[in-house]
Amino acid sequence: MTRISRVLIANRGEIALRVIRACREMDIETVLTVSEADRLSLPAQMADRSVCIGPPLSSQSYLKVDTIIAAAIGVGADAIHPGYGFLAEQPELAKACAKYGLIFIGPRAEHIKQMGDKIFARQVAVDTGISIIPGSQLIGDYRQAAEFADQTGYPVLLKAAAGGGGKGMKIVKNPADLRVAFNEASAEARSAFGDERLYLEHYIENARHVEIQLFGDGHGNVVHLFERDCSLQRRYQKLVEEAPSEALDPGLREKVCRAAVKIAAQIEYQNAGTVEFIFDRDQEQFYFLEMNTRIQVEHPVTEQITGIDLVKEQFGVAAGNPLSFEQKDVNFVGHAIECRINAESPENNFLPSPGKIEQWIAPEGDNIRLDSHCFPGYVVPPFYDSLLGKIIVTGSSRSEAIAEMSAALRRFQISGIHTNIPFHRQIMDHPDYQTGEINTRWIENRLAKEHHFHEDD
Amino acid sequence: MDSITQKDVIRIMELVEKTDTDELHLEMGDLKLTIRKGVAAESMPSMPALETTSMPVARDVSAPAPGLEKADQGAAPDMFEDRTDGVLTIKAPMLGTFYKAPKPGAAPFVEVGQIVDKEDTVCVIEVMKLFSTITAGVQGRIVKVLVEDSQMVEFNQPLFLVEAVTVKEAPAKRKIS
Repeated sequence: MTRISRVLIANRGEIALRVIRACREMDIETVLTVSEADRLSLPAQMADRSVCIGPPLSSQSYLKVDTIIAAAIGVGADAIHPGYGFLAEQPELAKACAKYGLIFIGPRAEHIKQMGDKIFARQVAVDTGISIIPGSQLIGDYRQAAEFADQTGYPVLLKAAAGGGGKGMKIVKNPADLRVAFNEASAEARSAFGDERLYLEHYIENARHVEIQLFGDGHGNVVHLFERDCSLQRRYQKLVEEAPSEALDPGLREKVCRAAVKIAAQIEYQNAGTVEFIFDRDQEQFYFLEMNTRIQVEHPVTEQITGIDLVKEQFGVAAGNPLSFEQKDVNFVGHAIECRINAESPENNFLPSPGKIEQWIAPEGDNIRLDSHCFPGYVVPPFYDSLLGKIIVTGSSRSEAIAEMSAALRRFQISGIHTNIPFHRQIMDHPDYQTGEINTRWIENRLAKEHHFHEDD
Repeated sequence: MDSITQKDVIRIMELVEKTDTDELHLEMGDLKLTIRKGVAAESMPSMPALETTSMPVARDVSAPAPGLEKADQGAAPDMFEDRTDGVLTIKAPMLGTFYKAPKPGAAPFVEVGQIVDKEDTVCVIEVMKLFSTITAGVQGRIVKVLVEDSQMVEFNQPLFLVEAVTVKEAPAKRKIS
């Protein structure tokens, strides 16, 4: 066991602030890496020290493994927390940490690499007896795609082998459309990932995205912290997350949580991770989707209902400690919902809206948690993602949480930039959302058609 | 004649350059013209002031980065931005370990008092065993070395202060206000 006394946080924005907050409570010194654009950010002011690692472009700053390692060594840090995004799921950073005697606050490099390979991850699921969506291995050409599609049945989903973020993904409803979609998906995959390989799977129309939060400690313990429902997505980007999922009854919940633990246990996974499933509501069937080897954006909803601080636990496990809790200690109470507040204009096709925040008046309350790095006068730089923060509310029931969120969003006043708050309000006030009649395509199929997303302020 | 053209200004500057005069002030009605020779101008026609929040309260900050933050994010970092006192700065183009000499015990690349040319090597910076040679980028006399040997330097951290010296061919810097 090692004591972590100074950590380098290789990230920015709200997650940097979240990690700093956890470190303060654990009496760990924080050094934040900043690009030139982030020198005066809130996390830079909150950290014990900040270190400028390069120009604003992340390819020249936040994504430079060598520079980050040199910074960690230079400031005498004994650990690196990668946050999410950037280098969190690049095995190179975890590997370099091991090489230079730094603790990587996350899983082992080989697990990041293995689970990052979708084909390998699917095989782990199959080996542990967990269903994967009926589909193909890699497909070489259009003819093979047509053959597989006939076997699995339409609609089918074409996906980039190297994929992520919805790039190279196409839904094909009938055989006549396959050729065009195949060509488009390959071209998109090539331009986004430099790899045009595709695979194909059966497309589930009435799907929920349900994911299980896991923690492993490398001492033989893997526990789950129940599920999060992240079905409200737009272009495969999550917008609203909640826990628990009202689509699961206790029996199904038990089943899917066990399945997730099995996958992580199979590879003796260490630190925080999430196994994502697609839940076919019509068939009441779960399919393994992928495993994320990082702390996730939406981790607060789990923290709110279980009372467990996941970021602190990451430090403990990375330092070599066993988990501070056992499976029997993990329970959940109430219902939590998170809305991702983005600097984008819903009425303008969700165009990113960087710039200076003139007014930032956030709602407050006992049941409201706001994870954000923004403040009045802050200039949202154009170089990074548009996440301004996350508002998380907790209620004793789902309907109470929805009402609370709706009220909180109404009190949230931001001016100077556009945000998706009006869009979130429409979701919270929509009968389909309130009754749980939603799926992963609901925003695009239903909400987008009903509204033109006018900012009404 | 109550107006003055750009051509006139250039002509005046040429004349001033040929004389021993260091500075010339000219006022014609609303027009004020100041021409100054030699060291860098104190201030260029003022850039829009940048709003900066207070610098982070940090302990053990090796680089307080004076006068930083031209928050014109997006533009290439202005690495050799003039200080207001006319002293030039050589800044680190990358984060890494600063070495003043090619190897331990060797004579440093530059010392205080030495005159450097733009292409002269002033130090090396190491990032994970990769050594980059850093050139002065400015012309002048080294007046101060701001960092210790083997110290980690941040991106854009000032390394040397350089006083511009008027070499024969060095173009005069002018200020028009």
